[in-house]
Amino acid sequence: MARLLELDKVCLSFGGLRALHELDLHVDEHEIVSVIGPNGAGKTTLFNVITGIYHPGGEIRFDGRNIVGLAPHRITRLGIARTFQSLRLFLNMTVKENVKAATYGETHATPVESILRLPRARREEREVDARAEDVLGFFGQRLQGYRFDQPAYVLSYANRRRLEIARAMATGARLLLLDEPAAGMNPNETHEITELIGRLRDERGYTILVIEHDMHVVEGISDRVVALDHGEKLTEGSFHEVANHPEVIEAYLGRNPEALQK
Amino acid sequence: MQIFIQTLVTGIVTGCLYALIALGYSMVYGILKLLNFAHGDLYMIGAFVGYFVIQWFGGATALIIPVPLLIIIMFLLAGVGVGGLGMAIERFAYRPLRDAPRIAPLITALGISFILEDSVLLLFGGFVRQYNAPAFIPFSTGITVDGVNIDVVQIMIVTVSVLMMLGLFVLVNRTLFGKSMRAVASDREAAEMLGIDVNRVVALTFFIGSALAGIAGVMSGLNFEPISSIIGFLAGLKAFTAAVVGGIGSIPGAMIGGLLIGLCESFSSSYISSQYSDLIVFGILIATMLVRPQGVFGQPPLQKV
Amino acid sequence: MAPVGVDEWVARSGDKREQATGLRGILVRISERVGWWPRLALLAIGGFVFAQLGINVNEQTVAFNSVIYAILAVGLNITVGWAGLLDLGYVAFFGVGAYGYALFSSHAFGTLALSTGGIHLPVIATIPIVLVAAGILGVLIGLVALRLEGDYLAIVTLFVGTAFVEAVNNIAPTTLGGNNGLFGLDPFHAFGGRISSVRGYYYLGLIMLIVLMAALRLLEHSRTGRAWRALRDDPLAAEVMTVPVNALKVMAFSFGAIVAALAGTLFAGEQDSVFPPDFQSIILITIYACLVLGGVGGIAGAVLGGVTVTVAEALLSSPTDSSYLFYGLILLAVIARVRPWRHMIMVVGAIVGLGLAARAIVGAISHSAVSGSAGTVGWIGRVMHHYVIVPSGPASLTYGKIMYAILICALILIVQLKGVWRLVAVVPTVYVAACCWESLLIVESGTTAVVMLGAILVVMMAARPHGLLGQRKVEVV
Repeated sequence: MARLLELDKVCLSFGGLRALHELDLHVDEHEIVSVIGPNGAGKTTLFNVITGIYHPGGEIRFDGRNIVGLAPHRITRLGIARTFQSLRLFLNMTVKENVKAATYGETHATPVESILRLPRARREEREVDARAEDVLGFFGQRLQGYRFDQPAYVLSYANRRRLEIARAMATGARLLLLDEPAAGMNPNETHEITELIGRLRDERGYTILVIEHDMHVVEGISDRVVALDHGEKLTEGSFHEVANHPEVIEAYLGRNPEALQK
Repeated sequence: MQIFIQTLVTGIVTGCLYALIALGYSMVYGILKLLNFAHGDLYMIGAFVGYFVIQWFGGATALIIPVPLLIIIMFLLAGVGVGGLGMAIERFAYRPLRDAPRIAPLITALGISFILEDSVLLLFGGFVRQYNAPAFIPFSTGITVDGVNIDVVQIMIVTVSVLMMLGLFVLVNRTLFGKSMRAVASDREAAEMLGIDVNRVVALTFFIGSALAGIAGVMSGLNFEPISSIIGFLAGLKAFTAAVVGGIGSIPGAMIGGLLIGLCESFSSSYISSQYSDLIVFGILIATMLVRPQGVFGQPPLQKV
Repeated sequence: MAPVGVDEWVARSGDKREQATGLRGILVRISERVGWWPRLALLAIGGFVFAQLGINVNEQTVAFNSVIYAILAVGLNITVGWAGLLDLGYVAFFGVGAYGYALFSSHAFGTLALSTGGIHLPVIATIPIVLVAAGILGVLIGLVALRLEGDYLAIVTLFVGTAFVEAVNNIAPTTLGGNNGLFGLDPFHAFGGRISSVRGYYYLGLIMLIVLMAALRLLEHSRTGRAWRALRDDPLAAEVMTVPVNALKVMAFSFGAIVAALAGTLFAGEQDSVFPPDFQSIILITIYACLVLGGVGGIAGAVLGGVTVTVAEALLSSPTDSSYLFYGLILLAVIARVRPWRHMIMVVGAIVGLGLAARAIVGAISHSAVSGSAGTVGWIGRVMHHYVIVPSGPASLTYGKIMYAILICALILIVQLKGVWRLVAVVPTVYVAACCWESLLIVESGTTAVVMLGAILVVMMAARPHGLLGQRKVEVV
């Protein structure tokens, strides 16, 4: 399989704190890779580095091209879109507008064209509208119909997470970075999200890199799991390999896990 | 050399006054993230309070009480009166807007500034007043450095300002009230849940900040400044500049910023051009902001992704 | 259909909150059913019919100023309302437009003192030149602003605005006129025609406003408008969602600048002069008041705010009209706020009774204490003369000042009191207000206008912080 994303000795520090240290990581096309690790392991920093919010040392190649140093909007246009763990929707815009806003990079009409409603602006507006409905339709009834014109701030927590994913899909990216998509969801919703992530790849052909704390979700979706701690890769492999790796257990539970179990 | 020392002294004295006003701006911004545009007008009202104290006690030429007592009464009344006014403004105008959009209190602050300025104009008229301080203070006494006389009022302004700033510094950093103030500044809701009486802390902050501005008004009156309803605007703008240059929200920043602005102003008007001194001060501000957007002492805001 | 879960419940309670009730709800729903352009057409027709009603020149000037402020507020809404950039230097662009027009349509480039020479371009050439210049200036300031965020941006732009006034006051006085400004400008002229009346400028302004509103409505719902609003809500998320945030910020600045400059040219043409004080921070504050009063973020709100503030200012600065406004507002406040009805009637009765009784008692003790004339002219003045206590002669001003101080204390007291006591306190307060108005406030009407404007802003913000037509906004701090 082709390497879609490849991190090569990526380093980042804040002052004296090493957030990421010589991290190597790769994601192949149509693969679902999970990143796990205790809080503060550098998982979200990893996403921030990939999407260009921080500029790290080392190399990050997307589709063979080094993307370190590019502005975030350029990286997203190349094909990497993300969701935010802390949910950063455009709360005062409607559900549909949230999704449409993410198509800015894919459209080209100038303000003058939009004001005069020239053919290109109208065509793009139609396309964007159709794309928004298509993307929101992916989530079943939850973000459909009357929901289109509701402001995002009335949405529930779970629907906000869904809208985050919809927005990332609308950018036209091939690689989705999902930051704790199941955080704060009840067991039912968690189950649904697990299924959804699988469908994202199978039906829509996305490649997915996901950060998740819920081990059931990780087990259910991952082709491969990467464990991080202190900004370094502990190990990677199948879920069971990683979950039983002594260093991973130590990172989560501390030294001498038997003592805790007693 | 004489001109240099003279300019330096003037700069430090005005700088101290700006710093006192800037402290109020800074404290209020720190705690409520509110740009209190009405703050300059409190300084103006402080100056008026001082003027009327002099009138009550017989006027500048025929005082019926000793001068030190007069000055203490002026400070007390201006501090308590203007402080109380600041507290009232907070209670009635800003408190209902704690959870409103950010721009609403800004507009309210402008409205309050209109009301204060024009109420003073209505009550006391538009003509310019003076304390006529030379009639009761011996200006010729003081220290002479290199042929330049530093008069008692200048010495007093610097001493009082430094003392008040030190007091404030101790209050904020060493007392329980200071601790709760810093807690409210960093997270109001969390502070409230921890049992801190946020309203009381905010009210006291307004009281202290406004009192400092009121006392600064009295001191500027003693230092020959003319007094009218419009002096608050420009002083407020300068003090605001000082607060920003120093790093808004930071108390030592406001002090240093005030001194910097005072010195810039006096040096640019005596060495370059008095006509352009305001433009130069604003130019310094813009340049500072571009090099160090959070000010000299400000902390860059944390951004959590 | 998915089962009703937590999110459905949250959404439904959201719906309920959004639903307006009663007459207002019906109006909202009707206006929602009508599209935006018929509403705009209605506004245009209304505007034209209004000017045909045989109004005098003063009223025409107020109407023209309303249009100017509406245009300014709509432009400010691009930068502040959509892109969320607190631009306090906005008034400088208004100044650039006005001075730009003045330079190309006067003796400024000739010999100013002799009123000879200079450039006299037709308006059809001037406006594009000025707008392009303002747009470029907006880009420059926008580029500077990229380094700053939130309040810091506000502060720096505030100084840019102040610096503009200082600059036109001090730099190149032979061309820019310094303190004296530029005057004797050409009226708008092109293709052999010219605009020579206030009404003409009003029509032109109205056309510009309507076109601008339509254009901005289309822009708001295009990719650019969406990107601006996304950037206001969350700049980082917008950047990650393919929006080039920096470019859009600069664009918002320059679009705002262009609209302000357009208003500036119109203003300069109508005034046939420009002076530095026309662009001081008080004007900036007024423009902000328009926008915030109407509701930040909406075009219709901005226009409504512009009209309301201008009309209120005009009413306040005329001695008779300001009395109508003053007593009208008091009456309206009592009628609207005091419930139930029986209490309201009692309060109104008590206010009337108290006044008549107080005047009779004081009049019996000393005739000169009530013999001063009420400041208001016209029928209100005649009615009030028999109601309020105004001493005759120079004592009336001092008396008014005391009343003013009492009034402020009483207002503070009212806010503190609760329930019945508040109603009881309202009665004497209204009477004190009337006495104060007739003896002092109406005499100093210019100053009073500013105080009233300030008070209206403060009360308005407390009552409706989202503005008249504004919608609730969620802000992430």
